Amino acid sequence: MADGDRDLHDLPQALEVPRRHTRISMVWIIPIVAALVSVGIAVQRISNEGPTITVVFKSAQGIEAGKSFIRFKDVNIGQVTAVQLSADYGKVEVSAKIAKSAAGLMVDGAQFWVVRPRITLSEISGLNTLLSGNYIGFEAGKSSTAQRNFTGLETPQVLSQDVAGRQFTLKANELGGAGVGSPIYYRRVPVGQVSSYDLTADGKAVDIRVFVNAPYDQYVKRETRFWNAGGLDVSIGANGINVRAESLAALLSGSLAFDTPAAASSADAAAADSVFTLHRDQAIAMKQPDAIARHYVLNFKESLQGLSVGAPVTFLGLSAGEVTAVGLTHDSITHDVKPRVDITIFPERLLATLPLEQQAAAAASDAAVRNSSAVLRLLVEERGMRAQLRSASLLTGQLYIALDYFPAAAKTKLDWSRDTPELPVTASTLPDLQEKLSSLLAKLDKFPLETIGADTTKALESLDQTLKDAGRLVNRVDAGVVPELRTTLEEARGTLSTARRVMKSAESTLVGPDAPAQQELRDTLQEVNRAAHAIRVLADSLERRPESLIRGRLKNP
Amino acid sequence: MGKMIVSCQTCGLLCRPAAAVEPGRCPRCAAELALRRHASLQRTWALVVAAAICYVPANLLPVLTTNTLRSSESDTVLGGVIYLYTTGSWPLALIVLIASVMIPVGKLGALAYLLISIQRGSVEGSRKRTRVFRAVEFIGRWSMLDVFVIAFVVALVQLPPAMTAQPGPGVPFFAAVVVLTMFAALSFDPRLIWGGFAERRQRDG
Repeated sequence: MADGDRDLHDLPQALEVPRRHTRISMVWIIPIVAALVSVGIAVQRISNEGPTITVVFKSAQGIEAGKSFIRFKDVNIGQVTAVQLSADYGKVEVSAKIAKSAAGLMVDGAQFWVVRPRITLSEISGLNTLLSGNYIGFEAGKSSTAQRNFTGLETPQVLSQDVAGRQFTLKANELGGAGVGSPIYYRRVPVGQVSSYDLTADGKAVDIRVFVNAPYDQYVKRETRFWNAGGLDVSIGANGINVRAESLAALLSGSLAFDTPAAASSADAAAADSVFTLHRDQAIAMKQPDAIARHYVLNFKESLQGLSVGAPVTFLGLSAGEVTAVGLTHDSITHDVKPRVDITIFPERLLATLPLEQQAAAAASDAAVRNSSAVLRLLVEERGMRAQLRSASLLTGQLYIALDYFPAAAKTKLDWSRDTPELPVTASTLPDLQEKLSSLLAKLDKFPLETIGADTTKALESLDQTLKDAGRLVNRVDAGVVPELRTTLEEARGTLSTARRVMKSAESTLVGPDAPAQQELRDTLQEVNRAAHAIRVLADSLERRPESLIRGRLKNP
Repeated sequence: MGKMIVSCQTCGLLCRPAAAVEPGRCPRCAAELALRRHASLQRTWALVVAAAICYVPANLLPVLTTNTLRSSESDTVLGGVIYLYTTGSWPLALIVLIASVMIPVGKLGALAYLLISIQRGSVEGSRKRTRVFRAVEFIGRWSMLDVFVIAFVVALVQLPPAMTAQPGPGVPFFAAVVVLTMFAALSFDPRLIWGGFAERRQRDG
């Protein structure tokens, strides 16, 4: 140990430093800072924590926990945290954490739907989801009551609530080709779309909710008519064939259209949520509102084949109404079953065709005009107006009903006591048309055309003969009479020079230009010539119009 | 006490301490001498506690956010491990799990164990505890694996708009855990493991 001590003493002595009195090392700042930072981050995270909501869907196709977002106006406002089946396995519950900034949106009425690629005939949407994956679309509600549990929509919300415009309700008998999202056209400009539809409570009609975007909603007036513009509308009526289509997309997916009749009396824009009738097609929709409709019944005695409901009723060729029903009537006394046609006449349509000043006069004497049964009575009872079935087109066999004057018709009295007065009818010219045609043909058949032809030939031959005879007569005059006269004259000139004056006078009597014999001959020949010309004209005319043999010459060929 | 000698931590010179409590400076390199590292236990404890605190957000916060056209995903370390495992690459999952989760925990646990055993003056297994310390020191440099991977990924995967990667807020915490445990191991004086032994021998002798 002594050696060790000596060795130790050989070692240099360390320098002394004053002792530091710090008991607690500054190093503890590190864990304190770490703790503060961690707590700070934790507090920040918790304070930024938005609400967790649950949305129930029927199916959550393409929605994945941790990957799918809830997007509002293309901004992520939340992330799906869990996708699980509901307790009864019937639905899917999607839990999502909503960003704190969007927490205020989670109120009653907020709507959620799964956005997936949708390719319909009228539109392609959600294509961005092909790359980004399906996400949950969101539309804010208007309530202020906070809500954490929602039921998702199965179909995407078509309209964002902040899109300006107005919603209207259309009442329709059937939905037609329209569906949610079907476009609405105004003058072929797409201006809105169908937002939803539902059967009415009694199931007898369809309520279609449509949304017309601003500024086009101003064109929806009180008297605007909506009609189903979808599909190809081919109608064959008494008016001919009518084909209409709004656009190719509309043709395939169905669409609605609206317009306001030019004659609309009110130009006020319709209030939001107004109810309109959805008409079947444009023609029906745009018909004048026939406020005054008068119903009549017609009892025909002939077949009504070719007469359909909706067929026009014309008055002197102008559209006056339409056929509303075609049926039978039974006479309880005679047990006759006869065809019956119910027609509706819209007097206003006829009034509209009057000259303007007369219209004004009619409008002024409104009440009297509306009491137009007096006019009708006059027309029927005094002027002989009758209803008659007529053929609109021989090709289609469509019939219509014409009101026309038949002055020869027997006078009748109208029975105005009935609800639907019966108008007198007159037999149609149509049903016996065939009969007439066949009898005409038979007559034609019986007609001795060949004999007539032979006679004509004979007449022509004899005419020819006559002409030849006439020629011969002329020749004879030339060859016989004239030379003879000349010799006589020569003899007379040679033998009798003294009797020249006598001979001269004889000459002037017989051979002068004004000689009576010569004159008569010329007249005869002119007569014959005229006769020949007349026969030639007759032959020509017969050739052109053989029927003139039967019917006589037309007054005005 | 006079028999005590001290070795300079910097230049290795052996010298007699100026005083038993304050050994003074090294006469050759003027580095401060210490019989034991200054406030070793306290410092190590502080760093271990700090690392333990940081370990919580490091694992809870996402470390990597990848944005693809389809989606945006934030992954935590454990999430990445689970993802690797579920996609079938379990060896990779194991590596990440060991390097990123188990090693930091193991280091913190080992250091805490060493510190507690020193403070309790425990003598048993001092040799074993020294080996534990060496293992902690050795392993420390490998536990930055995740941070390196993220640094590479973020640098390389920048193909906007098809794909981008961004470090998440968990990365600094994760790095802090690693660095703090390394500093903790550094500030730990392994001689303390044997300190109790010496004291006991002194007491016994």
